[in-house]
Amino acid sequence: MTCVEFWNHVAEGGLEASPGSGHLAECAACAARWDRQQALQAGLRLVSAGMRGEVAPPRVEAGLVAAFRSQARFERGRASSYSPSSYSWWPPVLTWASAAAATVVLAVVLMHGSRPVPASIAPVSAPHRIAPPAVESADAAVDRVEEDSYGADNDFIPVPNAARIEPNEDVHLVRVEATRSAMMALGVVVSAENASDTVVADVVLGSDGMARAVRLVTNGDGSLLEEE
Amino acid sequence: MIKREMAHESTETDDELLARLRRGDEAAFVALYRRRQGAIYRFAMHMSGSATAAEDIAQEVFLALLRRECGYDPKRGTLSGYLFGIARKLVLRNLERGRADVALESEADDAALPELAVIHDPLIDLTRREGIEALRRAVLALPRRYREVVLLCDLEELDYADAAVALRCPIGTVRSRMHRARALLFEKLNQDRNPRLAVGPWKPMRVAI
Repeated sequence: MTCVEFWNHVAEGGLEASPGSGHLAECAACAARWDRQQALQAGLRLVSAGMRGEVAPPRVEAGLVAAFRSQARFERGRASSYSPSSYSWWPPVLTWASAAAATVVLAVVLMHGSRPVPASIAPVSAPHRIAPPAVESADAAVDRVEEDSYGADNDFIPVPNAARIEPNEDVHLVRVEATRSAMMALGVVVSAENASDTVVADVVLGSDGMARAVRLVTNGDGSLLEEE
Repeated sequence: MIKREMAHESTETDDELLARLRRGDEAAFVALYRRRQGAIYRFAMHMSGSATAAEDIAQEVFLALLRRECGYDPKRGTLSGYLFGIARKLVLRNLERGRADVALESEADDAALPELAVIHDPLIDLTRREGIEALRRAVLALPRRYREVVLLCDLEELDYADAAVALRCPIGTVRSRMHRARALLFEKLNQDRNPRLAVGPWKPMRVAI
């Protein structure tokens, strides 16, 4: 075996390959080089061992678990909604019932939605990103990870901690009135005088009837449309 | 909590845990996360040079896994290789945005790579603390394409086939990059020992520890 053949053999199997002891016994240069390779490998193992303590902070796990639970809840709700016995009658009923209840739901969610999880798992940016559109590869998965559910250029604001809308999901858009105070979380200016005034908003309802996103309806001049 | 700890120590394969995860088993997800997060986080941190970026990337990688159609195909490689592949892609995007912590990478890196001959053998130090730290710095200062193979194959002990899946290149490319990466490491260690010999396209890299 020549030196080139020996190192090609090593390259084929990595450093864990049999060193081809016959050649190393004959070639002092290759033997020395092999020893250095082994020393480097041993040094890298020590570096690796020293890095083992570097792990993601606990908040990452907490956020992911929250995302997992959010998705599980959503999927359970979706599965029950699509049961054959209920499928024939629920859409219109649910839609109108949801429209009627949207103001209340929205008010509750917005007023209490800013702290839906315990403080220990607060930095959860995940739940709105977990819908599963079909993909083929890791690349596509990454592409999807970076997608924003609601796009950058529309003015719907995701309801905090609501499940994301799936690509083929049936959604309903309803226009509701809500008090300014209920819309405070969306940036509506509220004062003592106008807290009970109502403004108009478009609400996107998912197939489960839950509010997913809200858009404040404005007049042509950008001011909020208020109900007469 | 007990259930989680038990799941963490589970002897189930990644694919078995993934199957349970798909059925909504939170303990399986936690077990899979705890088994793989460290390697993903370290890879992201040492590639991006940022603990914050690594944290985000680790989260995004496992979020991708939550998707029903995440694109993972056991026939194409292990789950570990798949996760590293996502992490790598996210790292590259992060670097594209930042362009701050990237060691120089150019075709010139491939030119005239040194053989493994050395003047003062730095490897005799590699069992000492300073030597290990020097080697760590040398690894983190490698150009990206070499750093990633060393991180995956040497430090995270991924086999070449899985590394090829993660890096989206033929296994032969992984082997040749490993060979060159080691040559560069020898060169870097020599430079540290013999500063007057310092040549080549090495640039400092900021590393968040």
